[in-house]
Amino acid sequence: MTATLLKKRLIPKLLIKHRQMAGRERPVLVTTKRYSEVLDVGEPVSQAKIYEAQLADELIVLNIDGTPIAGDEVMLSLIERLASETFMPLAVGGGVRTVDDFALLLEHGADKVCVNTNAQLEPDLITAAADRFGAQCVVVSIDFRTEAAGAPKVLRCDLRQTTELDVERWAVGAALAGAGELLVTDADRDGTGSGLNIAVCKTVIDAVDIPVIVSGGCGRAEHFAEGFHLGGADAVAAGTFFCFRDQNLIQTRAHIRNAGIPIRMET
Amino acid sequence: MRDGRAKRVVGIVDYKAGNIQSIENAFMHVGATVLRVRSASELESCTHVVLPGVGAFGFCAQRLSASGLTESLRCWALTEQRPLLGICVGMQLLGDRSEESPSAEGLGWIGGTIRRFPGGAGVRVPHVGWNTVRFERSFGTFDRGTTADFYFDHSFAYHDPKAGETIGACMHGVRFSAMVAAGNITAVQFHPEKSQSAGLKILSGFLSQ
Repeated sequence: MTATLLKKRLIPKLLIKHRQMAGRERPVLVTTKRYSEVLDVGEPVSQAKIYEAQLADELIVLNIDGTPIAGDEVMLSLIERLASETFMPLAVGGGVRTVDDFALLLEHGADKVCVNTNAQLEPDLITAAADRFGAQCVVVSIDFRTEAAGAPKVLRCDLRQTTELDVERWAVGAALAGAGELLVTDADRDGTGSGLNIAVCKTVIDAVDIPVIVSGGCGRAEHFAEGFHLGGADAVAAGTFFCFRDQNLIQTRAHIRNAGIPIRMET
Repeated sequence: MRDGRAKRVVGIVDYKAGNIQSIENAFMHVGATVLRVRSASELESCTHVVLPGVGAFGFCAQRLSASGLTESLRCWALTEQRPLLGICVGMQLLGDRSEESPSAEGLGWIGGTIRRFPGGAGVRVPHVGWNTVRFERSFGTFDRGTTADFYFDHSFAYHDPKAGETIGACMHGVRFSAMVAAGNITAVQFHPEKSQSAGLKILSGFLSQ
């Protein structure tokens, strides 16, 4: 008997920046390349509706300005609109510093909350949030870079610098602290379309027993299939890949299904 | 409503432990009027009541108790036997207890213990994502023997309902109840409000009770 019929997930990632437009601050959907070279793409809510129509399994929404979420009305009202205009699970991150920030995002319609820098600085935040909201609500986001001839190291996005922290070690630490899921992204592959970092992905997945979402580098449908087949990922997330092609999720799904990977094709 | 039935008014119990916004939107989408229930008197105008819940079992149990609504809900569900739907931890609270928070007491209206998934090879915990539910009894437009995918996000589940209480069964290392019903009380472990069209059909099925 099959142990689980849980499907692999395809997750569009909406990267958000605050922009001054027509005298008002608005959330704008952007893509990035190697975490720089920002390109404005469009309006996040209409993009999310397209993804929903194309059977996205979830959405990840990240404020890459990193401004504190408490008091960020631009982000909070965006989340409220996404939650009221789509029926997809929403994971939201960027500028999450306290347990109260988790509560704030959940009240505005998020289902899961991503923490990154502040979890590195204060791993107790993971534990406190999991105690109150349950582990399933706490996604620890880990960005990494591989310096020349070295092991992959965790990135501090706020400082635009790698740390001394080893990716596998931090993944295990975050899981032990109570994280319910990891989002692991290779910053060097971000926006390049050159394929996922399967080696690091597999190392992390073998080291923890919580679900892992991998991201960074998807440029073709095969890259998703590789993430599932070779990397063992539970979910693959992509930003740039989904932003610039029509009907892409459905085509990508068909490709993944044909590669023999269990994935949702209809509701 | 199109078929001329009385308007459905869904009261969503607002005890500060859940993502109420999404549930409200989903019920409005299927044609119901929704209101947030914060006091016993607000139950009077409802035809259906939803007990949501996101968070640790103990946290939600404590919040529900602090809301002062437990007795009115007991009267609604057990004495008057009117339609009640528990969602996610709202389902778990209908059990007697949970391994997540052993010192906290559930409502016991369906009974049983909520247990953690054992996990193991190829089975990661929390159970996150879309999984297939097999309907062992018919519910709404879902016929007995059919399957549909729903969105789950949890580490603990209802493993041991009484015979016949399970409407929908699901596998994640172990078999667990994704959906149970005991008379007028229905409960789902998945998130119908996040499960796109299949989820909306569950809500419509509840409203037709």
